Amino acid sequence: MSTVDNSVSGAVPGAPAPRRQPAWLELWPVQALLFLALLVAVWAVTEALNLVIPAYQGQILLFTGINVIITLGLNLITGVTGQLSLGHAAFMAIGAYAAAICTVSLHLPFALALLLGGLVAALFGVVLGFPTLRLSGDYLAIATLGFAEIVRVVNTNLKITNGAIGYYGIQKRVDLPLVAMLAVAAVAAMAWLENSRNGRAMRSVREDEIAATASGVNTTFYKIQAFAVGAFFAGVGGGLYAHTTTFIQPTDFGFLKSVEQLSMVVLGGMGSIAGTVLGTIVLTAAPELLRFMSNYRMLVYGATLIVLMIFRPGGLLGGVDLRDAVRRALMLGRSRTVRTSVGGDGQ
Amino acid sequence: MAQFLQQMVNGLALGSIYALIALGYTMVYGIIALINFAYGEIYMFGAFTGLFLVLTWKANLYLAIFGAMAFTTVLGLVVERVAYRPLRRSRNAGRLSALISAIGASIFLSTLMVLLHGPATTGFPTLFQNRNFVLGGASISLYQILIIGVSALLMVGLDLFVRYTKTGRAMRALSQDADAAALMGVNTDLMIAITFAIGSALAGAAGVLAGIYFNAVQPYMGLMAGLKAFAAAVLGGIGSIPGAVVGGLLIGLAEIMGVAAKLSDWKDAFAFAILILVLLVKPSGLLGRSIIKKV
Amino acid sequence: MRRLSAKGFLALLLVAAMAVSVAGCSTGSSSGKSDNGPIKIGFLGAKTGNVAIYGLNGLKGLHMAIDEINAAGGVLGRQIQLLEEDDAGQKDQATNITTKYVTADHVAAIIGDPTTGITRVAGQIANSHETVIMSFGSTGTGVVEIGPYVFRDTLLDAIAGPAMVDYAISKKGWKNFALVTSKNNDFSVSLSSIFRDAIKAKGGNIVVEESIQDGDTDFSGQVTNIKAKSPDVIVFSGYYTEGGLIMKEVRKQGLNNVVMIGGDGLQGADFWKLGGEATEGSISYAGFSSEQASGKTADFIKKFHDKYNEDPELFAAQAYDAIYIIASAMKAANSADPKVYRDKLAQTKNYEGVSGTITFRENREPLKSPVYLLQVSGAKDPASAKFTLLDKVPVK
Repeated sequence: MSTVDNSVSGAVPGAPAPRRQPAWLELWPVQALLFLALLVAVWAVTEALNLVIPAYQGQILLFTGINVIITLGLNLITGVTGQLSLGHAAFMAIGAYAAAICTVSLHLPFALALLLGGLVAALFGVVLGFPTLRLSGDYLAIATLGFAEIVRVVNTNLKITNGAIGYYGIQKRVDLPLVAMLAVAAVAAMAWLENSRNGRAMRSVREDEIAATASGVNTTFYKIQAFAVGAFFAGVGGGLYAHTTTFIQPTDFGFLKSVEQLSMVVLGGMGSIAGTVLGTIVLTAAPELLRFMSNYRMLVYGATLIVLMIFRPGGLLGGVDLRDAVRRALMLGRSRTVRTSVGGDGQ
Repeated sequence: MAQFLQQMVNGLALGSIYALIALGYTMVYGIIALINFAYGEIYMFGAFTGLFLVLTWKANLYLAIFGAMAFTTVLGLVVERVAYRPLRRSRNAGRLSALISAIGASIFLSTLMVLLHGPATTGFPTLFQNRNFVLGGASISLYQILIIGVSALLMVGLDLFVRYTKTGRAMRALSQDADAAALMGVNTDLMIAITFAIGSALAGAAGVLAGIYFNAVQPYMGLMAGLKAFAAAVLGGIGSIPGAVVGGLLIGLAEIMGVAAKLSDWKDAFAFAILILVLLVKPSGLLGRSIIKKV
Repeated sequence: MRRLSAKGFLALLLVAAMAVSVAGCSTGSSSGKSDNGPIKIGFLGAKTGNVAIYGLNGLKGLHMAIDEINAAGGVLGRQIQLLEEDDAGQKDQATNITTKYVTADHVAAIIGDPTTGITRVAGQIANSHETVIMSFGSTGTGVVEIGPYVFRDTLLDAIAGPAMVDYAISKKGWKNFALVTSKNNDFSVSLSSIFRDAIKAKGGNIVVEESIQDGDTDFSGQVTNIKAKSPDVIVFSGYYTEGGLIMKEVRKQGLNNVVMIGGDGLQGADFWKLGGEATEGSISYAGFSSEQASGKTADFIKKFHDKYNEDPELFAAQAYDAIYIIASAMKAANSADPKVYRDKLAQTKNYEGVSGTITFRENREPLKSPVYLLQVSGAKDPASAKFTLLDKVPVK
């Protein structure tokens, strides 16, 4: 179930000449400035929002933002590069504990702690990436699952993580504007990565690894890179999580959490950033929205997953080219992209 | 030495239960390449069915096992029909969609049991008087003999079935090459249903045995058991029936030996650590077929 | 290189849309502390998930108490309205629920969580919003220290543990102990270190230590290890489910003369329902006993049994007490506003609850005196087994 968006400009004979972006927009300093402006705008909007929105809904948005950062990482590993990972929560755990230890025991500044959390997680991403080179498909999946369980057991037994009792005393340093900015930055980073050479290489690994290798793509390198970057995002998300709940335990990052994260990615449409964001929003908000039917909540959740997969197996936004859809919706004229869909396994 | 033997027996008993569940995983995977996440819950329903039969109808041991197997067979078929078959038909569905659907089914079933029964752990009434046999210094309980015995019986039965019956042959053909098998006249849907039925029956039996052996039945018992059984199936080489047995026994033994070596804190990690180590050396599992991808 | 274009923008748009729709679903914002209308109380606990049993049992006790209070006219002439959400044992859900309770629902008090971990997280939020929170199950460290609005009505192991060990060594003459801890249960881990220190201090001998995890069902390995060391008694610091199952395995392996002693985590009928005859003679401590002189506990047990057709266990009893203690503080302060009644609550002295006689110390830690040592009897028939009073130890 993979749909590759191949933008082929000017490839359709008889179509009007493709509109190009003005030249100055392509310059990287301009893009960087525009991006910064976007971030500032996001910050301003969410600051204002923060004052208006009731705390309960704000809290939900905050967790949604954190989850978006984490699931974007999983989307890179599983959706874009096609490596099924059932243990993503382990990277979140590693980032959470690392960041927490940095601020609480080592008294490092928060931003540095977040960064370190992400980097340590990325390191483990590489560590996990290496042995999985020879594994494919479901063997890889179970290996990632095993890895996550091992991380959980280790966290429960180490002195430095305070074991089952949990790590507490973490300061609450996270608020909605911060998470919003980081989430937007994450989306931007992912979009940039996916459209780069690296991203295309990763997609080729997903599509047909043998063909990719035969074409000279260093699949090993890109698989590991996917794990590293994906883990980094999860680690940063984990650090944010720790500094929101102020107290973490190994059980917070168990198999069910990994499953939740995978569901968010698949639900929204694998390989699609917007899909991942949408899936995350839906599944983070769902338990809250379903609170009124508290006893049956999880029943509905499970059934929803089944039903959604049956009726839209590609995910909510799977197979949808977002720019096309937006353009069509806004009736901005014919799109210059040609969409090709490649059927078959997302493997 | 006696203590070591004792722990070996403990490990074999535990491993037998994992092996029974692993068989279901491996058979289904061999045919349709699906990780049936809901197997843990089918195992759990088997345990509860056995409990129900014993409590309400005063069923004896054998009736409880048969009854549970009958029920879980039906349950497995229903799950297959509702959650997996529509996805096989659909053009858009890849393996991951089926996986998510399986996860949804798993969550649904365990929550259903919580609603039906409550989350508390319940024990099995005593079905027979325990006796301990001393063998080389190790004391083996009747329970353990029961577990190992019944499991072995079921596994041998399955092996004979797959090897010597027409249906068994059809199943094997399907797992080797689905298209070719269909061309040879194998009714794919029927075979898949039968595979699910057998796997679910085994899981149900495992559930009752586990309920009796551990004397603990609770709605979330399927989660961990399912994970470890799946690891066992992969360890042995997914798709390989003897592999599932070997994998299950190995993981059970590893866990118990870990406890014996005073490393019980790390016991859950053992199963997975062994799995990863084996996969590093032999990526298709211990008894799995090396898949040569032709381009 | 394309820039962030429609995708990122659309993502933002989606977030905003979702936010608006979620805001539209917000629950009523009428204050639970206002002078008229019902007094809102928030329940915090798990109704689904691995620790659901403790939340659900607490909920049973809470329901019973609230029904009684409302039938008798409510508090200050107002009826109590219970809001019950499910945190599924997850910190992020608990964070959301607590935030909702204190900012949207304006509850007059939060009762819960039974686990220390979540109570710590929820306690921060409740305390910073000046709402009383009382846990009916957490015994770990770092709870009441959070702030003046955080309370609990549990029996503290630091007091009861040594009392139990003292009894074991001096009255029972046991010398060799096997200590079993449930490593993923913070109550158990803390209690084990208390037991360990107390045993060493009183001259006992720990011959073997084993660990299990909550949720385990196979203890054959650990019990085989224990059997090899021939202890006089098994000390277990965890909960009744695992306790009962461990004892069953102990008898299965032929270790017939050894009983279990443990903390009030064993206070639940499941201890003998799961452990059967193997639990006969096992001892646990509690802040209460059905044979207490006042009869209040016995009454509670009977009423609970009539209503739910099962015996109450520890969390049900403590939740029952929690709402009653809060109600009486409200009455004493003549207000349901936590900012007002908090002081009266902190001054609770010798409140006779069904889970013990409670006094809050200076630092708001609960003191239950005396500590009752209870022994399982009649375990052959789970329907009629019970904890009978063995001894009581007054503590300061």
